[in-house]
Amino acid sequence: MVHDDLALRGMRPLELRRLDLLRPAVPILQALALAGIITICLAGITSLTQLSHVSTAYLVAVLIAATRWGAVPAVAAALGGMVASAFFFYPPLYDLRVSDPQHLMDLALFVSVAMVTGHLADSARAHMRAAQRREEEVRSLYAFSRRLAVASTVEEILASARDHLSAVLGHPVLLLQARSADGGPSAGAVDTLPHAVRASIARIEAGVLQERAFCVDDATRSTWLVGPVSLPNPGLGIVAVNLGPFLGDDLRRLRPKLDAALADAGATLERLDVARALGEARARSIRETFREALIGSVSHELRTPLAAILGAASVLARAPAVAEDDRLAQLAEIVRGEADRLDSDIQKLLDASRISSDGLRPQSVWTDPADLVDAALEPRGRRPEDRRIEVNLPEELPLVYVDPMLVTQALRQIVDNAAKYSPAGSTIRIGAREAGEHVVVDVRDEGMGVTDEEKERLFERFYRSPRHSAAQPGSGLGLWIAQAFVRAIGGQLTIDSGGRDRGTTVTVRLPAPRLG
Amino acid sequence: MSRKALLALVVDDEPQIRRFLRAGFELEEMGVVEAATGAEAIRIATLKPVDLVIVDLGLPDMDGAEIVERLRSWSSVPIIVLSVRSGETEKVRLLELGADDYVVKPFGMAELLARARAALRRQLGAVAGEPVIRVGPLTIDLARRAVTRHGLELQLTVKEFKLLQVLARHAGNVVTHEHLLREVWGPSHAHDSHYLRILVRKIRKKIEEDPAAPRLLRTELGVGYRLLGEQAS
Repeated sequence: MVHDDLALRGMRPLELRRLDLLRPAVPILQALALAGIITICLAGITSLTQLSHVSTAYLVAVLIAATRWGAVPAVAAALGGMVASAFFFYPPLYDLRVSDPQHLMDLALFVSVAMVTGHLADSARAHMRAAQRREEEVRSLYAFSRRLAVASTVEEILASARDHLSAVLGHPVLLLQARSADGGPSAGAVDTLPHAVRASIARIEAGVLQERAFCVDDATRSTWLVGPVSLPNPGLGIVAVNLGPFLGDDLRRLRPKLDAALADAGATLERLDVARALGEARARSIRETFREALIGSVSHELRTPLAAILGAASVLARAPAVAEDDRLAQLAEIVRGEADRLDSDIQKLLDASRISSDGLRPQSVWTDPADLVDAALEPRGRRPEDRRIEVNLPEELPLVYVDPMLVTQALRQIVDNAAKYSPAGSTIRIGAREAGEHVVVDVRDEGMGVTDEEKERLFERFYRSPRHSAAQPGSGLGLWIAQAFVRAIGGQLTIDSGGRDRGTTVTVRLPAPRLG
Repeated sequence: MSRKALLALVVDDEPQIRRFLRAGFELEEMGVVEAATGAEAIRIATLKPVDLVIVDLGLPDMDGAEIVERLRSWSSVPIIVLSVRSGETEKVRLLELGADDYVVKPFGMAELLARARAALRRQLGAVAGEPVIRVGPLTIDLARRAVTRHGLELQLTVKEFKLLQVLARHAGNVVTHEHLLREVWGPSHAHDSHYLRILVRKIRKKIEEDPAAPRLLRTELGVGYRLLGEQAS
């Protein structure tokens, strides 16, 4: 049936109209032809033997016509059989009149039996056709779901949905605008569509039209049904069904069938969307669990030996035998210093991994910015490389609403950088000021500075400019981490410099919302 | 410190950590008894007269909170927990359950000893009753309700004194924000940390050499405040 319909695509309207009239006539003629064949057979038989009740033979024609072509041809076969019997076989021969009342009864019986069996056969046929159609739909749905199961992109999903809908509706279908992975429109051949259809689509997108409607394209004389795939969920996509040259009543009969099929498809797509979202969420939570477990175990595995190293070194440093011997005391100090460095590197890696996988969960509290600067400069005994640090904070800085751990870590990183890239004996100046609903902290050094090209790339993960790499070892993670932390609490980190070797100022803007 | 040799119970599942802790305490002429699990620790604590408990939080058989809770149910022995860097909420919880202080791994022995001594002093002071506490240049006289700095008496408001009093009673050990708020403002204000920060700022202006870089009244970010211990530098 589907193929017949699609084949009709190529015909011109006038021819189609004639066909429409001729179409039902064909089976009737076929039924009558059957009756004719039986007549000939009967004629042959009666020439050899005597037959009294020939009309029963025509039941064959009636049944065949009923099961193959339906009620009307069956009636035609019955009437044909009746006429043929009366004319050819019941005396007077070659005359429609029937003299013998027995033969009249026979004909009447024949017609009634023919009607009943014809009707029964016709409904059996209808059931069979319905069952066949359902089987076809189920097969198509099965194929559709099989394709969906292996579909990995939105495009594949759309293609299989489109094929399925075409099969179910018996008309070519175009699916458009279903949400693609990034939310943008998916590939739809909008340009090849007729103007009227495009206009309807535009109205649906604009939200003006919210249900499915027919529209007629005069150029190709075709009717289209355009509308959202799923009425309760219009964002899922727009469907345009090319119904061909059907008109008027046919359309009205077709509409419920189309709506039902589209409702099914819409529900399936919706389930898909939900399924996809669920799948993504599940994958994300699995990743998250793994990440937490990995970080937990890495953290413990690396930190425990470090704790033992640092602890033992600190005890050694206190033992009189070591404390009183300068060289030994220095060695103990080296062990302690290097263990510290290791600890801070491990912390950086863990921070970096938390940032990469969106694992930052800032817990903001009201904090005194002076405390943050103070904590960043801790521990006092361990200021590296003898840089002078001047802290100049105004008396009454407002409290800031931040996660103290994250900000302290970020500031510590900034100060470490300042110390790393500035010469011995230079000064690092830390200041702060209130600026609207923010507190701005700046760290100024007198060191290597940052050129404009370097500034553009400085916040990239793992980036180290050649100039800086040559000067000091490092991972390139520090600024990236600092910026991620500051951003996570709603702040901003910026860098300014006079240029090469002209010092650097790193500015951190922290939120200090006014209390209502 | 007391003449009688003190006994420290060291609880950690890592033998290397127990080893350096033992060495560190023995250098201070303290006795040490070790436990590798929470169950063992509680058993030892019930059998022996331990004066100090150092307990790691990552024990295999018991949650740190559970050990602190169980010990506190029948003993006021000073408890110092060994924790990891993050997890401020866990530290606060343990302090609220009755732990006296914490150190963050990796740590140095000196830091642990300072906090342990502060807790021990408080324990002994609670028995003997200590009206006067000296912290750096400050002298806090709890009986007369007066605070002097370098001999000069400071003008403090009622709340400022109350805060210093609570911190001084725990001198050398951390006190959580919630505890301070309850003591100074009352139980219904346990979450108004804004008030606390402002009050601390005011006090620092009065007692600190450089209020922006406090040496006496230190902040433990995310947890609370710590007044410098007695006799400490």
